[in-house]
Amino acid sequence: MELLVFLTLLTLGYFVGLHLERRHFEDIKRREHKTLFVPIANFGAKQPLPTAQTAQLFMGSVVVSTDYFKSFTASLRNLVGGRIVVYESLLDRGRREALLRMKEQAIAAGATQIVNVRLETSNIGSQTANNGMVAIEVIAYGTGIR
Amino acid sequence: MKYTPKEIPEEINVTPVHPLVNFAHLLATVAIATVAIYAGLGFVAVGLVSHLSPETEQKIGQVLLPAAAPPPLILEDDRTQYLEQLLISLQPSTLQFRPPLTIHLVDEPAVNAAILPGGHVLIMTGLLEAVESENELAFVLAHELGHFEARDPLRAMGRSLVFLALASALGLGSSSSNGSSALITLTGNLNELHYSRKQESAADQYALSLIVQKYQHGGHSLDFFKRLQEQETALGFPVHQPELLSTHPLTQNRIDNLTQLARQQGWSLEGEATPLPEGLACPNFEECDF
Ligand SMILES: [Zn+2]
Repeated sequence: MELLVFLTLLTLGYFVGLHLERRHFEDIKRREHKTLFVPIANFGAKQPLPTAQTAQLFMGSVVVSTDYFKSFTASLRNLVGGRIVVYESLLDRGRREALLRMKEQAIAAGATQIVNVRLETSNIGSQTANNGMVAIEVIAYGTGIR
Repeated sequence: MKYTPKEIPEEINVTPVHPLVNFAHLLATVAIATVAIYAGLGFVAVGLVSHLSPETEQKIGQVLLPAAAPPPLILEDDRTQYLEQLLISLQPSTLQFRPPLTIHLVDEPAVNAAILPGGHVLIMTGLLEAVESENELAFVLAHELGHFEARDPLRAMGRSLVFLALASALGLGSSSSNGSSALITLTGNLNELHYSRKQESAADQYALSLIVQKYQHGGHSLDFFKRLQEQETALGFPVHQPELLSTHPLTQNRIDNLTQLARQQGWSLEGEATPLPEGLACPNFEECDF
């Protein structure tokens, strides 16, 4: 019985998780293509900043969570060590989504360029429980100039 | 500087491996490692059984004893000395390289006896009430000695023997800290050490040879089992058997096998019964209601 529940969760996690992930990636690609015309650039401390009429801070944040399949695969990986490949796509989605949300806001405000973009992440969910939820928040912020 | 938009390349930060392939790979690795460890432990355990030093075996026995012989353990009783003498008079010289034998009386109505690693012989008081001659009692003790000689208690512990041996080598088991109690939990229920039919009949044969050595005949030593057998046939159905017997080969089978062995070896199964000391069923041989 327990095994049945486990296998159901695993299959559910795999198929639903994969489907949602595919759809998200398609959405991300479409929006990235659409917002490609606005450059993102970072400047060092001693570099001259581009002159601008207005500058405004924009922020995009997203929370992504794993599915049961990913968590279980990662827990297997915990036993042997190495790269947790299943989480790579998760983090990739998080970063790109956060950047997009920031960028879309900046474009809506009429920004022609976004400078000095930073990315931050934080863990959400229990880290103590063995099979606890793994969720991560990704925040992207930068200065939109016009 | 002119900005020319470029498409963002894919799969830089995501390894292009199918999640199921990755999963299968991981699962196989973990499964193979688990099987290898399990098989390795079994292999080491089998090797340990025959190569364990008496000191280590003794230490293991000390760790196991509190769990296997829970209170009410009778500590001070004159009967212990009698039983110890009986045991020593049976003990063959082949056992001199094994840990010394110790008798532990357990206040329990069950008709049973057992031997633990490290030479700890547990005797339930129920057995002392059920036997009618010394020969019968000696046979049961000799049977347990047979298990000890064949290292059956060590063998029955299986893979947990490896952990116990390791713990005693590291000096973890000697102190009665929570470490040793965790080990006991790991080892499972010791009172349920199960031996195979083959181990049992080997112990029986060994026992009969010790009995013949001590008394020059095997007479009356099997009466205990015969009484039980008669009870069975009289009632027409198997009676509730004492643990010592129910976990052992079928009574009739057992008697037949031993009778056959005696015939082959030319051992006599006729002879005088040696009486038990007065009041064996009572604490300190004093009079009691039993
Ligand atoms: Zn036995």
